[in-house]
Amino acid sequence: FKDDLSASPQLFTPMSPYDVDLPIQTSEDVLFSSQFNQPKELPTDFSVDLSFLPDITQDNKEQNLSEDGHEMQKELDGSISRNEDSSIFMDESSLSYPDATQPSPEASGVCPHLTPMTPMTPVTPASESSGIVPQLQNIVSTVNLACKLDLKNIALHARNAEYNPKRFAAVIMRIREPRTTALIFSSGKMVCTGAKSEEQSRLAARKYARVVQKLGFPAKFLDFKIQNMVGSCDVRFPIRLEGLVLTHQQFSSYEPELFPGLIYRMVKPRIVLLIFVSGKVVLTGAKERSEIYEAFENIYPILKGFKKAS
Amino acid sequence: MAARGSCPGCGSASLVEDAHYAQQQLVCAACGCVLSEGLLTTTYAEEEHLREVAYSQSTGQKEQLSRCLQRGIRRVQDLCKVLQLPTVFEETAVSYFQRALQHPSFHLVSLEKKELLGGCCVFVTCRQHNWPLTMGTICSLLYAKQELFAGVYLSLQKELGLSVPALSLGDLVKTHLNSFRLFQHAADIPAPFVEDKEKMVARTMQIVELASETWLVTGRHPVPIVTAAAFLSWQSLQPAARLTCTFARFCKLAGVDLPPPAHLRLKELLEILLRMASQLAWLRVFNMDKKTVVKHIGDLLQHRIFLLKNAFCLEDEEEQRAVAAGERSPGSPPAAGGTAQEEGSPSEGKRQREGGPRPLLPPCLINPRKRLRTAAPSPSDSAITGDEPISDSEIEQYLRGPEEIRAFRKAKAW
Repeated sequence: FKDDLSASPQLFTPMSPYDVDLPIQTSEDVLFSSQFNQPKELPTDFSVDLSFLPDITQDNKEQNLSEDGHEMQKELDGSISRNEDSSIFMDESSLSYPDATQPSPEASGVCPHLTPMTPMTPVTPASESSGIVPQLQNIVSTVNLACKLDLKNIALHARNAEYNPKRFAAVIMRIREPRTTALIFSSGKMVCTGAKSEEQSRLAARKYARVVQKLGFPAKFLDFKIQNMVGSCDVRFPIRLEGLVLTHQQFSSYEPELFPGLIYRMVKPRIVLLIFVSGKVVLTGAKERSEIYEAFENIYPILKGFKKAS
Repeated sequence: MAARGSCPGCGSASLVEDAHYAQQQLVCAACGCVLSEGLLTTTYAEEEHLREVAYSQSTGQKEQLSRCLQRGIRRVQDLCKVLQLPTVFEETAVSYFQRALQHPSFHLVSLEKKELLGGCCVFVTCRQHNWPLTMGTICSLLYAKQELFAGVYLSLQKELGLSVPALSLGDLVKTHLNSFRLFQHAADIPAPFVEDKEKMVARTMQIVELASETWLVTGRHPVPIVTAAAFLSWQSLQPAARLTCTFARFCKLAGVDLPPPAHLRLKELLEILLRMASQLAWLRVFNMDKKTVVKHIGDLLQHRIFLLKNAFCLEDEEEQRAVAAGERSPGSPPAAGGTAQEEGSPSEGKRQREGGPRPLLPPCLINPRKRLRTAAPSPSDSAITGDEPISDSEIEQYLRGPEEIRAFRKAKAW
C-alpha cells in the first residue's frame, strides 16, 4: 500500500483506515490501474465516508473538471447533497470521486468515461453560459483564379456584372443563390462577400469561378481563404456604455460624438465588438466561427455586470 | 569688451572679442595676437551674455526638424493659445504630434490630414486632463470635416495606444454654458430673460444627471442634450415670463447654435418629467402637459430619486406585473409603483400612456424602429457543404446570348 501511495504523495495522505480498493477517479488513473482494483470490482457494501480525503491539487482539479464535463456533475448532484460532511471538498473532488453512499452502477458506468488522459473540452459549457448564439451575418473570402482576366470582356458577356473603370478597377458580379457579391480583378484575384456561412461563401466563390470559366478563361480555384466573419446578437438588456468604458478603458473606445456604440477591442480572441446601448452586439474580425462564439462568451459576463447598474 | 585670460604672446590681460569678416576672434589688444578664432556659437548673440536660450528658439532644433514638422508644431501651439490652454498641455500636445508624425502610418498622409493630426493631439491632451473640449469645437477651429477628423482621431488613438478618458458631462455643462450670452444685460435681450449663471448651471447639471439616469445620454451626442437641458432650466427659473419663448429664439438670444437633435432631446426630457409629475401627489390633480410641467421642474428635481423609482420600474418587475395581470392575482404587488399598479396593470402588460409605470429603458428600445429582420438561417441553408455540384444551367443564366451581346455592343460606347 504505502509504496503505491508514496508514488503520488500529493494525492493521498497516508492514513491507515483506508481502503485502497477505492476506485479513485483521477487523471492518473491509467498509472495506477495496475495497482488498484478495476472499477468493476467495487465492493457493494461500501460504507466508507470519503470526506477525509484531501482536496485534490490544482492541476488535478483542472484536469478532472475538464474531463468530467458537467455531465458527471449532474449525475452526482443528487448524491452529493446527501453527504453533508464536507461542502467545499464535494464541489471539487466529488466530480471525480464517486460518492460513497451511492455505489450505484452510475458511478461505475461513468468511470470508463474518465480514463482518457487528455482533458475533453465540454461541448456545453458551464451554467454561466449565455444561451445566446451569435448569428453570422457576413463572410468575406478571397480566392485566386490564377489567370489574367479581361474585365471589359467579362462585363460585356456576363449579365450580372458591372464594370466602371473610372470608379473602381474591378468587375462587380452578383449571383442570386447564395446571395453574394464578388469583386473580380484583372490579376485573377477575387473577393466574395455577403454569404451567411463559410460553406455558402465557398459555394458562391466556386460559382463565380465557374462563370468566369464559361466566359472562356482558364480559371482555377486556388487558395480559398475566409478573411473576415461578422456576427451579431442581442443580449436583451440595455447597457451602460459610460460605465463599461470606465472599467475596461484599455480595451474600449466610446465616443458618443463620433459613433453611438462602444468599440471593444478584445485581445483574445482578436475580435472587435461594437456594443450598443440597446444591448445589440456586433462582432467582427474573426477568421473562424469559433472566435466569434468565444468572444461573445467572454463579453457576456462583462455586459451582465452592467445590467442592473441603474 | 574684455575677456578673461592673458595673451600668450605679450602676457597682456586685455583680450578683446572682435569679428573679422563675421568670424569671431579673440585678439590681444596690446600686440594683436589672435588667440582663437571661429568660436562656435549660435547665431543668437544672447548666448554670449550667458542668457538661457530655449531649445525651441535656437536654430539647433530648426535644423533637425523638417519644415513640415515645424509648421505642424507651430499650428499645435497656435491652437493651444487660441483655446487658452495651460502650457503643460502645449508641451504634451507637441510631443504627441512629433511621435505621431514619425509613425509610418502618418508620415505620408496628406497635408490636410497632418493638420487634423495636430488638432487631434490637442484634443487628446485636453481629454486626458479632463478639460472638456468637444470635437465640434476643434473641427470648427480647423475648418475640418468631422468624418475626416473622426478617422484621424481613431487611427491616432490606435497607433499611439493612447487611453483617452470619457468626456465628463459635468465639465461640459459648465464650459458650454460659459458661451451663453444670457448672464448679462444687453441691448437685444429682454430684462426678464437674463439669468444668474450659478443657478442656471446648477439646475442644468441636475437635469443632465436626470437625463443620464433615464438613458437619454448613452450613445447620443452630448451637446444637444446640454442645450436642451439649459433651455428647460432657464425656462423653469422664471416660467411666467419665459414659457412663451421658443427653443430656437432662446438659442439665438444666447448666441449658441441649435443642433438638430436638440428638439428630440427636449421632447424626451419633457416626457420623462411628465411621467415623474404624475407620481407627485400634489400635482396629480392638475392636468399636466409639456408647457405646464416646466413650472414644476424645481419640485420634480428636488424629489427626483423618489419619483424615478415610482414612475419607472425595472424590466423584470414589469414582466412580473404582466404575469400577475395575466393570472389576475392582485395579491402579488411588485416592489415599486404600488398605487400606479392598481390603475395600470389589470388590462395590459406594457402601457405606453401615463398611468402605469413603464420600464426604464433607452428610447431605442421603447420605440423600436420597424426594420426587416433577416431570417434566421433555415435548415436547408445549414446543410450546404460548399462542395455541391454546380449545374450548367444555373451558370448559363448569368451569361449573355449572342444577340444580346451584339445589341449591347452597339449601345455601349465600347
